[in-house]
Amino acid sequence: MTAPISRLVVNDRPIDLAAVPVEERLLDTLRWRLGLKGTKEGCRTGGCGACTVLVDGRSVLSCLALTHEFAGTTITTVEGLDTDPVGARVRGAFEEEGALQCGYCTPGFVMALTSLLKEQGTEASPAELAEDLGGNLCRCTGYATIVRAVRRVRGEAP
Amino acid sequence: MTFTVRPDSDAKLRGRIAYATDLDVPGMLWGALVPAPVARGRIRTIDLRPARAIDGVVAIGPAELAELLPSATADVERPVFPSERIVYHGQPLAAVAAPTRALARRAAHAVKVNVEELPAIEEIEGFDPAHPGPNDPEVIAHVLARHGDLDGAFGSADFVLSETYRTAGICQVALEPHACLAEIRGELWHVTTSTQTPFGVREDLASMLGIPEERIVVEGTWVGGGFGGKGSPLLEPYALLLARASGRPVRLALSYREEFQLVRTSLPSVVRIESAVTAGRIVGRRVHWRLDAGSALPGRDFTTGYAIGFIAGPYRIPAIEMEGYAFRTNKPPLGPHRAPMAPQCVFAVESHTDHLAARLGVDPVAFRRSHIWKEGDVTHLGQKVGAFGLDACLERAGTVARTWRKDAPPHTGVAVGVGFWSTVTGAGGEARLLLSPTELTIVEGEREIGSGSVVRGIVAVAEAVLGISRDRVRVEYQDTRTAPFDSGVFGSRTLGALGQAVEKAARGLIDQLAKRLSTPPGSIHLAEEAGELVVVFGSNRPTVRSLLTEKELARGGLSSEGRHYGTSGAIDTERVVDGTFYPYTDFTGAAHVAMVAVDPETGAVRVMRYAAFHDAG
Amino acid sequence: MPPFSLIQPTTADEAVAALRYGAPGETVVLAGGTDVLSDIEEHRIRATRLLSLRHLPWKTLLWSGTSLRIGSTLPLRTLERDVQVRHRIPGLWHAVRAVGSVTLRHQATIGGNLARSAPTSDLVPILLALDADVDLIGTRGARHLPVDRFVRASRSTALERDELIRSVEIPEARPSAFLWQRVRPANDISQVGVAVAYSPSRTTWRIAVGGVLPRPVLLPEAERLLSGPTPAAPEIRAAAQEAAHRAPFATDRRATEEYRRHLVAALLARAVSAATARPPSASGVP
Repeated sequence: MTAPISRLVVNDRPIDLAAVPVEERLLDTLRWRLGLKGTKEGCRTGGCGACTVLVDGRSVLSCLALTHEFAGTTITTVEGLDTDPVGARVRGAFEEEGALQCGYCTPGFVMALTSLLKEQGTEASPAELAEDLGGNLCRCTGYATIVRAVRRVRGEAP
Repeated sequence: MTFTVRPDSDAKLRGRIAYATDLDVPGMLWGALVPAPVARGRIRTIDLRPARAIDGVVAIGPAELAELLPSATADVERPVFPSERIVYHGQPLAAVAAPTRALARRAAHAVKVNVEELPAIEEIEGFDPAHPGPNDPEVIAHVLARHGDLDGAFGSADFVLSETYRTAGICQVALEPHACLAEIRGELWHVTTSTQTPFGVREDLASMLGIPEERIVVEGTWVGGGFGGKGSPLLEPYALLLARASGRPVRLALSYREEFQLVRTSLPSVVRIESAVTAGRIVGRRVHWRLDAGSALPGRDFTTGYAIGFIAGPYRIPAIEMEGYAFRTNKPPLGPHRAPMAPQCVFAVESHTDHLAARLGVDPVAFRRSHIWKEGDVTHLGQKVGAFGLDACLERAGTVARTWRKDAPPHTGVAVGVGFWSTVTGAGGEARLLLSPTELTIVEGEREIGSGSVVRGIVAVAEAVLGISRDRVRVEYQDTRTAPFDSGVFGSRTLGALGQAVEKAARGLIDQLAKRLSTPPGSIHLAEEAGELVVVFGSNRPTVRSLLTEKELARGGLSSEGRHYGTSGAIDTERVVDGTFYPYTDFTGAAHVAMVAVDPETGAVRVMRYAAFHDAG
Repeated sequence: MPPFSLIQPTTADEAVAALRYGAPGETVVLAGGTDVLSDIEEHRIRATRLLSLRHLPWKTLLWSGTSLRIGSTLPLRTLERDVQVRHRIPGLWHAVRAVGSVTLRHQATIGGNLARSAPTSDLVPILLALDADVDLIGTRGARHLPVDRFVRASRSTALERDELIRSVEIPEARPSAFLWQRVRPANDISQVGVAVAYSPSRTTWRIAVGGVLPRPVLLPEAERLLSGPTPAAPEIRAAAQEAAHRAPFATDRRATEEYRRHLVAALLARAVSAATARPPSASGVP
């Protein structure tokens, strides 16, 4: 069964979709209907974090989200963080520390860390932030450079 | 040496890089595979009709191959779909394509597969490989090499230590699953795919499908992690055949569940290593190993021949025997995973070495250093060891290990391990350089898989040879139709092989420019001035533009080609009793230090500190 | 293909009414969706009718005195971020942090976790140790029962076909702790989970373990060996041994029975120390 969705706000743009199957995942709507391929498809079962987006500023696994449940919310994908100041700090720290290689996990990490920083500001220590990123997997870096990037983004010596 | 930001950082951080899983073209169908439900068996029937009953579905199985494949000369040893024998669980028996992902999954489930299950062959121990029984796995490779007076060494030893080590198969688990998009474009069978080896895939596809290489185009994408798992074709044959059957482009990607089922893990191993020690030195060593190669075919397994280079360790030992078997079992064709065969060998050798040192009551690092290969030594197969920095790495590692041990908290251990590697003989890299008035383009046929060797490494080589700034260098990937040949991104070979190809091509540019200026090549380098490239020699700075002919300017610039194919010193054939070996080139090595904490009550293990010392040549 | 439908009620009455329709087993209730949608993706459940609780007013967190009522669809992350929960019921805080990942907890709910009733649930043991009640609502009205009687086995609870979990009540904030052991720190299934809580009103301890079949259980024989708010070391050791002996562990692909018993003994002793520590320890990782 398909149904229309109105007022899905994605990266500050209100979107109306005419006929979306009710079982469709937000991940697939973003990637295949809206062409926002920056959010990556990984395990599709919530275990890898590659599909992470922000809903009302907080990280959500878009593979485990039914699009129809998110009408009326504000969704941000990695493309939508282009001009976001927190997103910019995260990108800068990852770039300076070389905290990426193949890049497949990278948008997910950027979204997850941006969400944590927006949620907690300076409350959490870099070690706590790194622990809170446990839902994002990386197979290339071994995480050491990502942990250094987290320290850098919190203004500490990497 | 300073760290430099990789040029693909920004695009990756902004989610602007497209991977094979992102491919999307008009009219595209979604593909799905139909897996074998048993590890070993005989196919009775495959009924595609329930799948075809779903609107818009195309389904193909072994019966369709004859009409789909343009020629009957497809590789019969490696059929795309088996007509009778199932050799591993999950082996694709048929494939479907449908207008949506959900329909494709439903169609794949709808296919009715009727099989007769047979007992799976899984064990590689408990039998004599020289006299296998009817239920024992088939031997697909055997290697045996010997050198020196083994009886003498073992007979008169102070002691002999014999140990057995076992490793399991390790999955690569790249975050990006295997994915590709296939399209038949007139005479051309075109596949865009996430692969480490575009040319290798083209060659294999030609063989599997019976189509001439010139009609197959493999276009690589950015790879979301390979680790050896994307070094040979997997999905491409099915996607191409579905595209042929449907007349539409077909996207085929694996779910993570399928990745784990179909993965070509590293080869599980059993290594028995025994050393004879006299007066504190290893005077003899025998290593016997068994590998589980899954359903790899005889003659297509490179692993036993590869393992023999690493199996006895980079240590001087006068008497040596190395014998290995690879067996065929009912698993997917197993393969490379990060330094194929090295971890299995290093785990056994290094653990064994620590036990030898403990038995002797000597420092494990000093013990290693007293045996480690140096330049001028020969390997166990008699190859000359060239420049080799392992001893220096060991010395540094030893210092760090001593420091860490001194301050180590309770319930922690510190150990040093040594590994060495080589790039593979015969594999080659070629590059074409094009120098325009404003930039240098490196045309090549490899894609970036994450290590940075393509987007940054070969660029750094060009910078070093030409004196050009990295902002003026562009890497242009081309597909197998037009790119210079390259063996692929694996085994840490890219910077060495493709890098040397770029180096030669860059020197070729220097030579050509110098000739035009009637000055020795060593006297010139490139620089930038007012948006243009200039050649600097002495106090002169003519523009590159002024040095190019009209024809060259019309063609895009001055071109130069470079090729590098690894060569190696010969193996001493006297040492070889049986088997095919791969001579090694460009040895490199590393010594690592790890501090590990073990919770004495729960057994939980944590890596606390880690240091790596690598010979980077 | 039967139509896949999504029902999104905004009131409890609508939700309960929606449950009455449809064939038995046809309707799947969706809270945060983190279990159900994963199950659907992996073909573990076949759903054609989803009843979403997302838009119901059940995302509440209410203290009255020392008791806490948690709305069944409150995201676990909200529960986790609540400072009062962290300090007054530390075992619950530990347990919530064991569930999945931060991002998953922006969606996952306590109701969903209870309804899924996994033997390896990281929330059920602490809810047992806290003597929590589930508050259910259905066509015949509301009822409540202890978590110990609600959870039966994997995917099996006391929920009737026409009932939903509305809230969970923790009657008394208790010094408590939840420790677990697993291979990876996040997004992994625990081999063993040990929850302890001391009831100031009854002056007794509660001990529950997860990772047993068919469901997490309380261990009264071990509980009886601990006396008072700060038991002495010999008592703790005895209780740990008793718990290890009593818990109905089995060998599976995550751990052997022997290792699990060994873990329980170790973790129980640490959990009691953590529960009696002032201030509460930072995390549940042993």
